[in-house]
Amino acid sequence: MTSPADADLEVVHARRPRPRRGVSLRDAGPPVALVVVFGIFAALSPGFRTLSNVQNVLDAAAVLTVVTCGITFVLMMGSIDLSAPGIMGASAIAVALLVANNRNDNDYGLLGVVLAVLLGAGLGCLSGLALVTLKVPSFMTTLGISAVGLGVATLMFAGVQPNVSDRMLAGLAVERFLGLAHLTWIAFACVLVGWLVQRYSRLGRYAFAIGGAEEVLALSGVRVAPYKVAVFTMAGAFYGLAGVMVTSQLGAGLVQAGRGYDFSAIAAAVVGGTLLIGGRGGILHSAVGVLLVTVLTNGLVQVGVSPYWQGGVQGLIVVAAVAAAVIPQRRRNQVTK
Amino acid sequence: MTTNLTRPPGQRVPATAPALEVRGLVKHYPGVKALDGVDLVVRRNEVLGLAGENGAGKSTLLKALVGLVRPDAGEIWVRGEKVRLGSIADAADHGIGMVFQEQSLVPNLTAAENIVLGSEGPGVRHGIYRWNTMRRLAQEQLDKIGSHIDPLARTDSLSFADRQMVEIAKVLRIEERTSHPPVIILDEPTSVLESKEIETLFTQVRRLREFASVVFVSHRLDEVLDVCDRVAVLRGGRSVGEVPAADAAPAELHRMMIGSTGSDDHYHGAAAERPDEPRPRLVVRGLSGRTFRDVDLDVHAGEIVGIVGVHGSGREDVCRALFGAEPTTAGEVVLDGARLDLSGTRAACAAGIGYVPAERKTEGMVGPMSVADNMTLTKQGSRCTGPVVRPRKQAKLVDRWIERLSIRTPDRGTAIQRLSGGNQQKVVLARWLVAGDVRLLLLDHPTRGLDVGARSEVYRLLRELAGQGVAMVLLADSLEEAIGMSDRIVVMSDGRATTEVAAPADGKPTPLDLVKEMV
Amino acid sequence: MSTPAVTEPAVAGPPVTGRAVAGRRLTSFMPVIALVVLLAALTVADPGFLTLNSLTAAARTSAPLVVLAAGATLVVLCGGIDLSIAALCSLATVFFALWLPDLGGLTTVAVVAATAAIGAAQGVAHVLLRIPSFIVTLGGLSIFSAIALVISDAGPIRVVDRDVTHWLTLYVGGVVPMAFVVALLVVVVVSLVLRSTPLESWIRATGYSESAARLAGAPVDVVKVAAFTVSGACAGLAAIMLVSRNFSGSPTMADNLLLPAVAAIVVGGTAITGGHGSLWRSLAGALVVTLLRVGLPIVGVPSAYEQILYGAIIVAAVALTLDRSKVQIIK
Repeated sequence: MTSPADADLEVVHARRPRPRRGVSLRDAGPPVALVVVFGIFAALSPGFRTLSNVQNVLDAAAVLTVVTCGITFVLMMGSIDLSAPGIMGASAIAVALLVANNRNDNDYGLLGVVLAVLLGAGLGCLSGLALVTLKVPSFMTTLGISAVGLGVATLMFAGVQPNVSDRMLAGLAVERFLGLAHLTWIAFACVLVGWLVQRYSRLGRYAFAIGGAEEVLALSGVRVAPYKVAVFTMAGAFYGLAGVMVTSQLGAGLVQAGRGYDFSAIAAAVVGGTLLIGGRGGILHSAVGVLLVTVLTNGLVQVGVSPYWQGGVQGLIVVAAVAAAVIPQRRRNQVTK
Repeated sequence: MTTNLTRPPGQRVPATAPALEVRGLVKHYPGVKALDGVDLVVRRNEVLGLAGENGAGKSTLLKALVGLVRPDAGEIWVRGEKVRLGSIADAADHGIGMVFQEQSLVPNLTAAENIVLGSEGPGVRHGIYRWNTMRRLAQEQLDKIGSHIDPLARTDSLSFADRQMVEIAKVLRIEERTSHPPVIILDEPTSVLESKEIETLFTQVRRLREFASVVFVSHRLDEVLDVCDRVAVLRGGRSVGEVPAADAAPAELHRMMIGSTGSDDHYHGAAAERPDEPRPRLVVRGLSGRTFRDVDLDVHAGEIVGIVGVHGSGREDVCRALFGAEPTTAGEVVLDGARLDLSGTRAACAAGIGYVPAERKTEGMVGPMSVADNMTLTKQGSRCTGPVVRPRKQAKLVDRWIERLSIRTPDRGTAIQRLSGGNQQKVVLARWLVAGDVRLLLLDHPTRGLDVGARSEVYRLLRELAGQGVAMVLLADSLEEAIGMSDRIVVMSDGRATTEVAAPADGKPTPLDLVKEMV
Repeated sequence: MSTPAVTEPAVAGPPVTGRAVAGRRLTSFMPVIALVVLLAALTVADPGFLTLNSLTAAARTSAPLVVLAAGATLVVLCGGIDLSIAALCSLATVFFALWLPDLGGLTTVAVVAATAAIGAAQGVAHVLLRIPSFIVTLGGLSIFSAIALVISDAGPIRVVDRDVTHWLTLYVGGVVPMAFVVALLVVVVVSLVLRSTPLESWIRATGYSESAARLAGAPVDVVKVAAFTVSGACAGLAAIMLVSRNFSGSPTMADNLLLPAVAAIVVGGTAITGGHGSLWRSLAGALVVTLLRVGLPIVGVPSAYEQILYGAIIVAAVALTLDRSKVQIIK
């Protein structure tokens, strides 16, 4: 946090920027990095540069893409969301119990998927409400909601793993269209939806504006609280969908379905150029970030690095990316929490 | 003192009524009377300048006019109609809009979005943006002021002058809400602009006058006189008069702003006997930083040097830089012959430098902690034996200073935020005195927010310390304070130390002498 | 500049609002009240609960949690948060299991030193790079988990030589578990060190108002790094307690302790905004959390509700203790 007075002074002495409409040079970094990383691995590993591996990478990125779509809007507001594991766990179990399965006689098919997504949205809404009504910082509310989601999942799990026998749901992960799994196309659709929301909806634009200057919105007579709740709700829906996708991949509902996805998604968004202080980046940035993270993990495995390093690499990436963004703005007597 | 001009509204003909009228506006904050019965009239199609020193009540008045502050008493009339303004939207409905001092644009949105923000109207249908409509709406606003900004440019990619135009275009949206000519308030609109940009802004302001009333607030008096038709002056939360801009001079305005009370005797203590030292205690040469350049400064032991300058002169940052709290790019600081390490506050403390920040509540003290803890926060050695805190030693020490500075507190364990401002400030000062090794005190508005009694106590204390040989740099709250307290006054302007004025006890300069150098 | 005649009362009332004061007062007793109420409720639900045996077992279970929470409390007091404690603790169990054959009796010291160094590294990253602490430690969490997975090959490592940790399984006076005594000692020693040195006022000043502390010349950066170091060391000590109980090291052994530890801190009434709180509060908070954990099955609540309860408790306790005067815009 920096004092506004300091920020003002900074502005006064900032270089005069050229008026511009859309993409800036700064936005080019992540895509260039993606190409470079891809090139390096392609040169190093013959296994990496096969068409089937490219398909693998895209398929492997599907779930993370959907989670990242949700978290991007939260990060754009300058908040943070750690609730993905809990919400994904809850929706993963919920959908497994709602479609044809070995635990009960439910067979709601697509309706079951919709209900699971709604469950995710509801949990996300709870984080948002706790944030705006109780004024608890988002990293705490979402940590709490994540625990609640895991608890709900454990309750529904009840000690017996629900195996999915619904052919539609199971087929999503297996059946292919143009060489890519249906889940991957769902992920593409999510990116498209996310991009439309970000570009053409008031919700998306306000989320962006809240990250840019929340106090200005209030001065302009905009009530920001409903939009914050809506953004967390939307993020919850994306996590819910991601939970459904994991269930489809595994063929069974697992409490741990979302384990680690919160951090991977933050890593992907940050690497893609979405700043944690909010107001910068977007869905397309995050999509590039997801590919970068996935290519990196896939490539490292291809060149023989243990897959267990995956989280570690992401951790380093996040810290490095945040540091790179923060260092140019460091100031004396700056308060860092 | 509310000059109540109650005229039955029925007798007024709206067509000739002023665009905006304020009668006897009063606003209290805890411990401060920000507005003390302000009267103000804004006529139609005029540019009214509003002048006043810091703390004169300008910003509170403006906030009341746009519904951000609810006055405790007094009335606001818009075109002959008494109104209550509860929010910015209320004010907009009555045709009053404000361009805020800190630019109130969302930097990462497009100019068009900023212009229509909060009242998108047909630009958004069912939560979905219609970019073409939005751009058209924004273009209409920009056309009003003849600006050629691309409505779809990101706001943070625009120049400051262009952003100002966007703000004005945004404020003009209030015309959609009312059929009357609007009242546009510009709060310090020039503070971030360069001189060329200021000219453009003035052209716009004059253009605005064609169809609106403008209230123009600036601390640069030459600007106010340049662009305004009439200037109203506030002092101490009251209206003290108004002059037509055509036949006023900056100096005259300034005299109205600071009043004629040049002789506040209570801090005119006799200048301390300066110990005969050939070498100054503090020598600053060529100090440069973000907001100041090439500053030279000498301070002798026992001497109080005041630094005066308008807002933006950089004097606060020089003060912080000497304490290591603000980065420097060049220059050298020598304290008692030893080169000073400016890399951090710890080094400054160790060298015997003390700093009293202007923002007492957020930077000067740790509110929830006790008087004793606040007093010993810096000089831990004074309450410890080795690394171990000795509660009895601390108690004795703190009690001695509570007594010496006659700090009124229930006891040393009371949270400092429960004391009055003056007593809080004495604790902050005592923090640097407990170890008895302070050589240089940097005082950034040490009497800000204190009442008269507390002020004079702080003045006496500072005099006493100077008598004991402590060197001081003082950024005073007012020119009179600077003159009364200082032995010498350095004038800063635009980041440079421009002039030095001697201020011995028997030959004090007048505020006007200084103003001439400052403006 | 003729400032208006400012009249301030000699002793102004506390600028904190009435509700905040009430909240403070409530929260200062909250952990103790919760503890007593929980004990009473559990005794009513199961009269057999209030026996020496079950209390001893509960105390033993709580020991690692107390240590973890105590360490992280220091970071919270400075105004930050340490989300890496559980992952670091897991990593430390792996370290312990791997190093024991070579280092023997020195393993305990080596593990605590290693985790302290890792904690310090996080502190340095936070202070030097000016990255918010929760990002640094979230990154740490991820990195430590990865290291633990890699060096343990993703499975538990059995500890065959049990002599080194045997002392932790002893009982003082036959009743009080040694692990709990050690946990208490940690709280007592750290609290005493804080109180008898300037550290406490530096930490509180940093937590309440970092800029005021810095401008008063308090060694803010050093204090923060020290807090992270202690937090790391505590994670190492907790790991040894876990190993002494489970006779193995595992890369995920302590991962489920993060939420209980955070819950313990905030239930104890330590404000997440910094400054206000103490290690004693976290001790009480950890006991409350442990009682909930062992007590829920007793009253017939499925243990799945445990997680939900943690979530609700964390949000509610933070909401009660938050210093709202400090943050205008809650992100």
